[in-house]
Amino acid sequence: MIELISVPSLLTVQDSGRKGYRKLGVPTSGYMDDYSARIANYLVGNSGDAPILEFLLMGPTIKFNASAVFAIAGDVEVRLNGIPIEPWTSHWAKRGDILEVGALRSGLYGYIAFAGGIKCEPLLGSCSTYAKAGLGRPLKAGDVLNLGYAILTGREGRRLPEELRPDYSAEEITVGVVLGLDLGHFTEEGVRTFLSEAYTITPESDRMGYRLDGRAIEHSEKGAGIVTGPLVPGTVQVPPNGKPIVMMRDAQTTGGYARIGVVASAHLHRLAQLRPGFKVRFREMSVEDARNELFKKEKTLEAIRLFLEGRLRAYRIKTEKMETIAFAGE
Amino acid sequence: MGETMNFKPLGDSALLISFGEVIDEEVNDRVHALTKAIEGAGFEWLVEVVPAYSSLAVIYDPKLIDFEGVKRAVEGLDVRAERVGGRLVEIPVLYGGEYGPDLEFVAQYNGLTPEEVIEIHSKPIYRVYFLGFLPGFAYLGGMDERIATPRLEKPRLKVPAGSVGIAGKQTGIYPLESPGGWRIIGRTPLRLFNPPREPPTLLRPGDRVKFVPISREEFDELYRAEWGNEND
Repeated sequence: MIELISVPSLLTVQDSGRKGYRKLGVPTSGYMDDYSARIANYLVGNSGDAPILEFLLMGPTIKFNASAVFAIAGDVEVRLNGIPIEPWTSHWAKRGDILEVGALRSGLYGYIAFAGGIKCEPLLGSCSTYAKAGLGRPLKAGDVLNLGYAILTGREGRRLPEELRPDYSAEEITVGVVLGLDLGHFTEEGVRTFLSEAYTITPESDRMGYRLDGRAIEHSEKGAGIVTGPLVPGTVQVPPNGKPIVMMRDAQTTGGYARIGVVASAHLHRLAQLRPGFKVRFREMSVEDARNELFKKEKTLEAIRLFLEGRLRAYRIKTEKMETIAFAGE
Repeated sequence: MGETMNFKPLGDSALLISFGEVIDEEVNDRVHALTKAIEGAGFEWLVEVVPAYSSLAVIYDPKLIDFEGVKRAVEGLDVRAERVGGRLVEIPVLYGGEYGPDLEFVAQYNGLTPEEVIEIHSKPIYRVYFLGFLPGFAYLGGMDERIATPRLEKPRLKVPAGSVGIAGKQTGIYPLESPGGWRIIGRTPLRLFNPPREPPTLLRPGDRVKFVPISREEFDELYRAEWGNEND
């Protein structure tokens, strides 16, 4: 059991999301950054989709009322009973210990995973919070959470090497985008603008969508309105003002603005971690290439999982041009 | 029915099938027939299908299949073009008064009496084209244009769950308390979205809806049965 002592900013329970209810208007929700969240789960020996805590910028202070193994994913200062400890590493906490998670130095969302996961009653098949519809609610100081059962022995001390930790400090990133949806609603010039300009994340961005600012994307004579149609997370809608909005995990399931494309799902977590004021560029990507990016991401995460479980060894490979990590089997 | 289906990628994990950009009952019937056929085919790669007015999204697991594979699988389905007979759902509504603060305005705007507005609104059988915007929110078709009314200039910060409104030529029911600019003419005591229930929404794509005017007493009784003491 853990108790939340202080909660300075948005803190929710999330898992890999709610599936099968979009046709009833229920968003998928789930981890904004599935890459970090899955690693946090692997660090404590969970499956990649277990319910964990997601915080926005500022982490909570937590009191342990029983022994637990936990790990933090994020570029953040962490203290256990006042003593600095490393993120991206699993630690043992005993009854009465106090965990303080500070403010993220880079990125927007951080994760706290516990061995056994956070115990919760799934609503519509998921523990992901979607407060707007009463599916869970943001956590507050005083809340008590139960943890799922797990054998803790051997789960602590797993550490992700620094080279493998995601770096979310870049102030400008490029993400792949699959075009081809409502292209008739844009001029050629409009599509060129979208693919050549840098767009700034505005403060009017949240788990529902990231509103971007930058050079307006020109619509064709068909205009910005479409007959309302389906959306998925990553869809880029362009309202009449020409400023794109990227749908995120809590986005509504349908929309009435022209869809210029969909961000490659392997890249969406990087966009999710981009702070207001930072910039994103969109690069056209074929649906095959976007799928290959997803395979690459899955392969990396699988290698990380096996490495953390001690089933793969990691080797640092240094050449004149680059440094990388390779994995090798037992 | 393959000749007019248009397949487009909706990213790398979903595909959009469009029958054109129209709001039309027959086209919507085809959307629901195809949705049902895909859902019923037992595809192991299928995550979910999301129907809308004239298009549907097929969300798939890209680890198991690619765009071309989904397209081929869908084109190979034997879709019966028959109407998908949705259920007829009666929705009791207490019109006017504190629960329908804009009823008078809608009447005045259209040169009608409030009683006429109620009669016109509760007469048709509406079609649930699809659900979207909010959990349990139904896009209804079939409102009589004699009661069409523009939205509020300044949206209300809080519209209670169950509020029945008019926006332009559309009518709809707020499933959840939320901000909104629709002209509110009444309220239903029924819960449009009730997550522990399976399915969690009162309405489903393809259903038909009929509004039934009720009295304050009937409203209170139904409200207690549906919501218990939750909002007291």
